[in-house]
Amino acid sequence: MPRIQLLVVQPTPFCNIDCRYCYLPDRTNKAVVAEDTLINLFSQVFASGWADQGLSVVWHAGEPMVLPIAFYRHAFALIDGMKPADVSLVHSFQTNGTLIDDAWADFIAEAGIHIGVSIDGPKRLHDLNRVTRSGRGTFDKTVAGIRRLRERGVRFHVISVLTAESLAAPQEMFDFYAAEGIEHVCFNVEESEGAHRSESFGQVGIEDVYYRFLSEFWRLSTAHPGKIRYIREIESAQRNVLRPQEATFFNQLATPFAVTSMDWTGNIATFSPELLGLKNPQYDDFILGNINRDRLVDLPDRPLLKRMQSDIEAGVAMCRESCEYFSICGGGEPVNKLFENGGFATTETTYCRMTKQRVTDLILDRLERVGSPAATGEALPAGMIAPVP
Amino acid sequence: MSLRQKYLTILTQLAPAGAVGVSLALGGAAPAAAGTQPAPPTAAPAAGVSDRLAAVRDAVSAIEGEKAANAEERVAWWGNGFGGWGWPNWHNWNNWGNWFHNWPW
Repeated sequence: MPRIQLLVVQPTPFCNIDCRYCYLPDRTNKAVVAEDTLINLFSQVFASGWADQGLSVVWHAGEPMVLPIAFYRHAFALIDGMKPADVSLVHSFQTNGTLIDDAWADFIAEAGIHIGVSIDGPKRLHDLNRVTRSGRGTFDKTVAGIRRLRERGVRFHVISVLTAESLAAPQEMFDFYAAEGIEHVCFNVEESEGAHRSESFGQVGIEDVYYRFLSEFWRLSTAHPGKIRYIREIESAQRNVLRPQEATFFNQLATPFAVTSMDWTGNIATFSPELLGLKNPQYDDFILGNINRDRLVDLPDRPLLKRMQSDIEAGVAMCRESCEYFSICGGGEPVNKLFENGGFATTETTYCRMTKQRVTDLILDRLERVGSPAATGEALPAGMIAPVP
Repeated sequence: MSLRQKYLTILTQLAPAGAVGVSLALGGAAPAAAGTQPAPPTAAPAAGVSDRLAAVRDAVSAIEGEKAANAEERVAWWGNGFGGWGWPNWHNWNNWGNWFHNWPW
């Protein structure tokens, strides 16, 4: 039986800003998901038993806060009314933060919504790409939203998309987060996906630049305790490298329905959530069915799913055969393989070299340094362990 | 010294500090001067990455093995805080394009 771990729901495709690296094709469309569509989705998810081990619902793929608070109050009540008592469920928003006012901050706190705010660092870096449709920067409004969350004591994380400019400025990035009281940080890299072609990926040596950025950012965080409590890339890499031999890796993105996405019309997709909304004649735009017409439990038998799964598994097998880092990522990210290499049945991407391989190198290199400080000619910080003979 | 023994020695000394302590130790093992972070070492290490990863994980299993009776228990120790290492809750929610990869909790 499939297990849905993450359910992505697009309440509206509309976004109130127009980031230069965004590939979502329909972000001027102000349509809103219908109540019946939500009922069809959640009633079937719960009836299927696919979410019995708990479910995270992320409202995204458009700016969720362009809809009124009343929409979510009603939707959450509907979902709660359908949910079996023993199934845990958490609602999450990924937002640009520009619309967080006092009422939103209060609702987020009251409803226990997990919040991620997209901000790309200080104003000069953020406003390079995160702009309105008239081209004005959105930094001031996003920071105002973050400050409201902090005033309410709402726990949040930020996601910052790293571009060539920010990769060259780890100190400036660190200083910004520290000054704004941002303690939980996630870094994405500007990727090539959909219609967007990343300029960063085209740079010679970008992987080494990424390594240097993370290395320096981590060093700064260690040197200033209590400022940055969580760097997702470092924490997840440490956990993945420093795991018992018996702990097997589960690649959620290569597992059917582990991540399930629904757009505002009820179309259902799986694997990488970015696939939903993108055009691709080879895979029928990645749409497995529509929750208003089809039964969720019938979707695993769809020929399209089997074709996608077969190609994705072929790519995973190629990674297993050829990549020294296979145990870190379990065969990579289908959407990156598709857009960088032209197909699912392929292997290495710039994305995985940066975000999997170089980060793993960083952890392994630090272990070597801790173990052999004499080789570097540098003294370890006070309190650190003795050299290994 | 074998790779496994090398990492076992390192991790045996790091493990009592828990996950935060491990992260601090590794984070602090960077070159000290700001702006001088090195590129990944160009000289190929004596062992390949997969061998190094396997050796690290063997060492972790050996350390945890002292606290857990079997492999299943070792994985449970790790997943629930790694026998006192205390990794924060983590999900492998990868790849959300330019706006969203994993959530930290």
